[in-house]
Amino acid sequence: MSGPDFRELVGDDLPSEERARLRRVHDQLVAAGAPPELPPALQEAPAAGGSVSWLPRRRLGTALVLAAALALSAFAAGFLLGKGRESDASAFQPERTVVLGTQGQTAVVRLGKPDDAGNRPMLVTVEGLRRLPEGDYYSLFMTRKGEPVATCGTFKVSSTEPKDVRFTVAYDFDNYDGLLLAEYRAADHKDHPLLHTDI
Amino acid sequence: MPDVPPDRMTDGELIARVGEGDRGAFELLYRRYARPVFALALRRLGDRGRAEDAVQETFASVWRSARSYRLERGPGAPWLYAVARNAIIDRRRARVESPSEIPDTPSADAEPDERAESNWTAWRVHSALGDLPDNERVVLELAYWSGLSQSEIAEYLQIPLGTVKTRTRTALGRLADLLEDELT
Repeated sequence: MSGPDFRELVGDDLPSEERARLRRVHDQLVAAGAPPELPPALQEAPAAGGSVSWLPRRRLGTALVLAAALALSAFAAGFLLGKGRESDASAFQPERTVVLGTQGQTAVVRLGKPDDAGNRPMLVTVEGLRRLPEGDYYSLFMTRKGEPVATCGTFKVSSTEPKDVRFTVAYDFDNYDGLLLAEYRAADHKDHPLLHTDI
Repeated sequence: MPDVPPDRMTDGELIARVGEGDRGAFELLYRRYARPVFALALRRLGDRGRAEDAVQETFASVWRSARSYRLERGPGAPWLYAVARNAIIDRRRARVESPSEIPDTPSADAEPDERAESNWTAWRVHSALGDLPDNERVVLELAYWSGLSQSEIAEYLQIPLGTVKTRTRTALGRLADLLEDELT
């Protein structure tokens, strides 16, 4: 990821020394990349004491997830998105931008102008999403009162790298109050909410 | 120990407190460093499960070894980095036991110089970000890692574009201060 335009961030009116100082920080931010969100198991500090150990509980969870993943192997693959390509977000003219998540796992949803018939293009840039097991996929929904009501589309990713996905929807957005990104898991045939925001 | 609120203590002061068995200092240190440690572990191990283990082992090690830290021998961040790096190396070797020897400063003996430098940079940036005020940190996160333009950030946060620009510049300046302070 190349990062934002430094000039857009700081303008042109800084003294050269300060500009150089901020440029160094800018370069470091770009090089560092996004810090991942902490998983639920790491949200709280461990119980300190003679020894700190809550590994077995987490490993039990890992074992269960692994077992579930193995059970999924019988399911056929869904569709795959094309191979990674350069982001075309800059060429897309959004009427509105909605962000789900702030770092680690994000989905930036850019809504374009609808055509004469009312079809609205949607460019979704996701990053930090894990590659899902065979048969599972991500779904983007319009929500009402937090509940998924209409599907915008489904997709997969091959890595946590940024990925652009294009959808076209024919909805009137005024009828909805949020966006939800969910993981569809073939194991239980359910959509598991991942990221949600009000719009 | 200087009489300052715990949340304003330096990393080194917090580690020294942890060495005295201060649970509150340990939690503050965890809050500051859990994400940078997790980020480092994820970069080095490439696996979330093993990275989680490395975070747990790092802080278990911090709790056990903080008594060996000496404030006068250097700032806390490099010491923590060394503890984390050892825990990650241990995890990579799939050893069960936790690191037994904690060096005073980070070394690059187990990784190529370029990667060590890159990991160290990411560590410093991620930990410094945690010290920014929330309203400044969020504009940087949206600009750098969500790919939003300044106008899109203004719309998303529902604040004037001028405020976004001011916060961005202030945040970059504050981050520069933090990173420069750490080296002195």
